[in-house]
Amino acid sequence: MLRRIADSLFWAARYLERAEWRARLVSVNHNLLIEGPAPAGNAWSSLLAISGDQELFEQDYKSADESSVLNFFVLDERNPSSIRSCIDAARANTRALRHRISSELWLELNTLHLDAKGWSPSLLGTGEVFDFFSQLQERFYRIAGVVNGTLPRGVGFDFLVLGIMLERAENVTRLRDIKYHYLLPRVEDVGGPLDLVQWAAVLRSASALEAYRLAHGNMIRTDRVVEMLLFDPTFPRSARFCVDRLETALRRVARDAPEPAVAPSALASDGLAGLLASRSSGDVITTGLHDFLLDVQEECERISGAVFDQYLRFE
Amino acid sequence: MDAQSVSKPVPISDAYRVAAGLFDEMFDEDRKPRPGCARVVADLLARDPGRLAELRARADAMFLRMGVTFNVYGMDEGSEKIFPFDPIPRVIDAATWAHLEAGLMQRVRALNAFIKDVYGAGEIMKDGVIPRDLVLGCPQYRRAAVGLQPQHGTFVTVAGIDLVRGADGRFYVLEDNVRTPSGVSYVIQNRVVMTRLMPDLVRASSVRSVEGYPGDLLESLCDLAPDGKSHPKVALLTPGLYNSAFFEHVFLSHQMGIDLVEGHDLVCVDHKVFMKTVHGLEQVDVIYRRIDDDFVDPVVFRPDSLLGIAGLTSAIRAGNVSVANGIGTGIADDKAIFAYTPAIVRYYLNEEPILPIVETHILSDPDVRRTVLRDLDRYVVKPTNASGGYGVVIGPKATYRELIQAREGIERDPSGFIAQPVVQLSVHPTLLGESANGAGPFAPRHIDLRPFVLLGKRPRVLPGGLTRVALREGSLIVNSSQGGGSKDTWVLER
Repeated sequence: MLRRIADSLFWAARYLERAEWRARLVSVNHNLLIEGPAPAGNAWSSLLAISGDQELFEQDYKSADESSVLNFFVLDERNPSSIRSCIDAARANTRALRHRISSELWLELNTLHLDAKGWSPSLLGTGEVFDFFSQLQERFYRIAGVVNGTLPRGVGFDFLVLGIMLERAENVTRLRDIKYHYLLPRVEDVGGPLDLVQWAAVLRSASALEAYRLAHGNMIRTDRVVEMLLFDPTFPRSARFCVDRLETALRRVARDAPEPAVAPSALASDGLAGLLASRSSGDVITTGLHDFLLDVQEECERISGAVFDQYLRFE
Repeated sequence: MDAQSVSKPVPISDAYRVAAGLFDEMFDEDRKPRPGCARVVADLLARDPGRLAELRARADAMFLRMGVTFNVYGMDEGSEKIFPFDPIPRVIDAATWAHLEAGLMQRVRALNAFIKDVYGAGEIMKDGVIPRDLVLGCPQYRRAAVGLQPQHGTFVTVAGIDLVRGADGRFYVLEDNVRTPSGVSYVIQNRVVMTRLMPDLVRASSVRSVEGYPGDLLESLCDLAPDGKSHPKVALLTPGLYNSAFFEHVFLSHQMGIDLVEGHDLVCVDHKVFMKTVHGLEQVDVIYRRIDDDFVDPVVFRPDSLLGIAGLTSAIRAGNVSVANGIGTGIADDKAIFAYTPAIVRYYLNEEPILPIVETHILSDPDVRRTVLRDLDRYVVKPTNASGGYGVVIGPKATYRELIQAREGIERDPSGFIAQPVVQLSVHPTLLGESANGAGPFAPRHIDLRPFVLLGKRPRVLPGGLTRVALREGSLIVNSSQGGGSKDTWVLER
């Protein structure tokens, strides 16, 4: 596997995962604003804070109203993380490696890219936007299906997995701020209906609400949400699940080497795995969820760096 | 007007008019279908003309979705265009094809022998068949190739020979492409699309398959492996994403299951070539390169090239890696050398050329030059060292200013140009963009043919080839970079 190709696979996967996450985040927020209790501050600017895009947004837009924010997140080509830009980047990365992925996958990506080029602001109007996001979500699921159904499980696949799982784990850590930004927390709201709606939204942002109810019932409790999103080894968007997949992929890549080490002494993911193993949902809430998530994010960045240095760096 | 008369098909032979003096590929002088064409004609007549435009729209959508595109130079970087596709297939009957196939095989064998000789003993120059100065002064002559001995003497693994059919109905060779001929991916994709558009017609017509090409190409490339290695590592070297033929590079490497590499993916160490993989360096045995000689090795050729691999030439010389096509093959598709190709066929094979060439005037000869310049507006003037239709001046269609410029160019550098009489390329029924009132949906448009020949232990010709069509009325230029389109080319089994 060429370094350049592995790199492109890795980034194609990251961008796709990012596009999917952004789509879910924006659509959940949108839902929340429509059916939830009225939030205190401007919920749309909260979304910008969660995604860390406030500054970039302010360069081009006057106010954080619904249509500006939707446009910024979905269509804006000047925003490198807009859904359209992410799809474009994913497709651009696969264009140079079309010969290493299946024609079916290329076809899905290329069609999505062509469609995204044709998206118009009218799709984001109040009457349209639900359909838009639900159809978009279906496209991402279809791509995931094609990836699973057509790609051989070789090293190339491992780099895709690395990209997906790193991006996913990082996105989980970004949810750290979601609660802080929906409103200025008022003590009387904790445990109240507003609080519940917001936790449900957090879960929905990770497609986790239904899984949560199956596992923990209807009662939404902070520690259980944290458990679900960080420590649950069975839920496909938890940090713990991601790190397990990262470990497997890294181990497989190492084993693929022409002269594999007898047992790969250390994996880039060891730090993250250790961090997650050392804590529980109860104590991270007591000691500070926000800081813990920052630590998780830092570990993710370290894994990225290590993968890059060992396998992708191009001299 | 009732509904029935609206949907009534326009009989192609009534609405369709071919100018006198042009050869029509589908209909003879009595407006009857030519051999092999009857079924296609009958099928087209039975179709509602409006539905044909629909077929084309479906084809375009398929090409776009599949990403079967090319990049146009001079437009925004990375702007991808689909190659316009005409859904009316071009049919070649079995007997005609047998003749072409034999002629093509003969020609490519002779060109390969010529290249081998030029960089070897140079017999043909010693025997005075071709002037030594012409060969050594040719811009495509590569000193670095002198003495190279590729496996089995194969310099030309892939050749694309451009054929045109004149008013007399005979096929002529217009141009040889033995450096990095492109277009074969469209041949294969056109068939994929055609099979979906007109499955019944394709099946009933016993069309010869083209899908074996990538496998055949891979076999020919493996034949080049140093020391006859049985499982050589083969890679396709591309200039990258912005090359006009990038789709083809992707397509072929995908179909052959080999790595698609760029120059910076490779490195030479100890006169061997390696790929930079995630686990370090892996040796490469055969490189199917789709970049020009000038760019393959900055040590030997253009030092500013970022596309190639420093040291590749010495690795070839050391016999540690093979490239296809070989370095220096451009000597055989030079447009001045072209004038000598019939002599080349006779010299090496001791056979009469099966395929005639379009008459070609070498302008470095003062007498010839004078004759041509006197009637410049009757000739096609081509730069000897360009491809893709760039720099070609077609006398009868040129403006006064263009003719003056062509004349000045020739006088400044006589050996830089050749002149050929204007060949009235044959025409073929082609679907019109907007069905003009009363004119019917079809019009005759000029076409050519680029078949692909593979040399290897088992030489072969891909049945058919790329039929390019000049979509603009009266235009003789079929190149994709100049507004041409393509048709599926059907060689019939019998």
